[in-house]
Amino acid sequence: MIRTVLKTTLPICFGYLPLGVAFGMLFQELGYPWYFATLMGVFIYAGAAQFMAIGLLTASAGFVEIAIATFFLNSRHLFYGLALLNSFGNWGFRKLYLIFGLTDEVYALMSTIEVPEGYDKSKFYFLMTLFSQSYWVLGCTIGAWTATQLTFNTQGMEFAATALFTVLLIEQWIKVRKPLPFVIALIASAIALLLFAQHMLLFAISLSLIMMMVLRSTNQKVRNEY
Amino acid sequence: MNIEYLVIVIVIMSLATFATRLPPFVLFSGREKHPLLQFVAKYTPPMVMTILVIYMLKGVDFLAMEGLYAFAALAITIAFHLWKRNALLSICVGTSFYMMAVQW
Repeated sequence: MIRTVLKTTLPICFGYLPLGVAFGMLFQELGYPWYFATLMGVFIYAGAAQFMAIGLLTASAGFVEIAIATFFLNSRHLFYGLALLNSFGNWGFRKLYLIFGLTDEVYALMSTIEVPEGYDKSKFYFLMTLFSQSYWVLGCTIGAWTATQLTFNTQGMEFAATALFTVLLIEQWIKVRKPLPFVIALIASAIALLLFAQHMLLFAISLSLIMMMVLRSTNQKVRNEY
Repeated sequence: MNIEYLVIVIVIMSLATFATRLPPFVLFSGREKHPLLQFVAKYTPPMVMTILVIYMLKGVDFLAMEGLYAFAALAITIAFHLWKRNALLSICVGTSFYMMAVQW
């Protein structure tokens, strides 16, 4: 099982390690002990939010402002659980950890792949989440540790995240085989980029979900086919 | 540098992040079989994936060399995936190509 999960999550590793290293290096410039980069990876575990934290810490931002900014930056995650309600069972603390670790990459992977035959689902998901977070924490730590003495050139490695989402998009197409959700997402993205480029993700996801539900309730053809 | 401030910030950000991931599971627990929820569950992943890909590419300047590399790397990733359908392989090949291109 461990080998299968490693293989499944390796694409996330390629994305998280360099991104975590980049975070650790930037964080180190603030002058805090290195292990706080590790702690942030362990407890916050949100890429964009941690990068934002560097700016907020530098500016000595207020606690309320930090809470609101973090919530809104991550608010797209409000929709992620919807697709996994059925996939997660009543697994107690294990389920709580799965919810805690539901990042963009983990969500994308979990909502697309099927757990291979013969594996315990809760254990498989748990290890997927645990490994993914480990890559992130490792990246943050290495970055803060080595700071400026890094010898391996990771420039361009961030493309791994784009490649991962692209591959999963193809898999979604193979799974769904109906154009409507993809077309709606394209339109919603275009509108979001034009109007709210700053909060593109949240706006595009909300808008596409609303459009999809409106179409379902007003259009007979959509209701029958989807 | 103020350790106490940093610790409180970490606690606040952890809670705020968790607060964005938890609500669906609390609000809709026990109602997973509702037809509308099943509809949403089925069609959010394809929509989110489309949006994530666009989001990742929105910062790329497609008139610069970087854009050409990104476009080629993307084409290679897609081609490999349609050919072999091995996610890891497609991602490795596409990313390695992009890294070589931008580092050269």
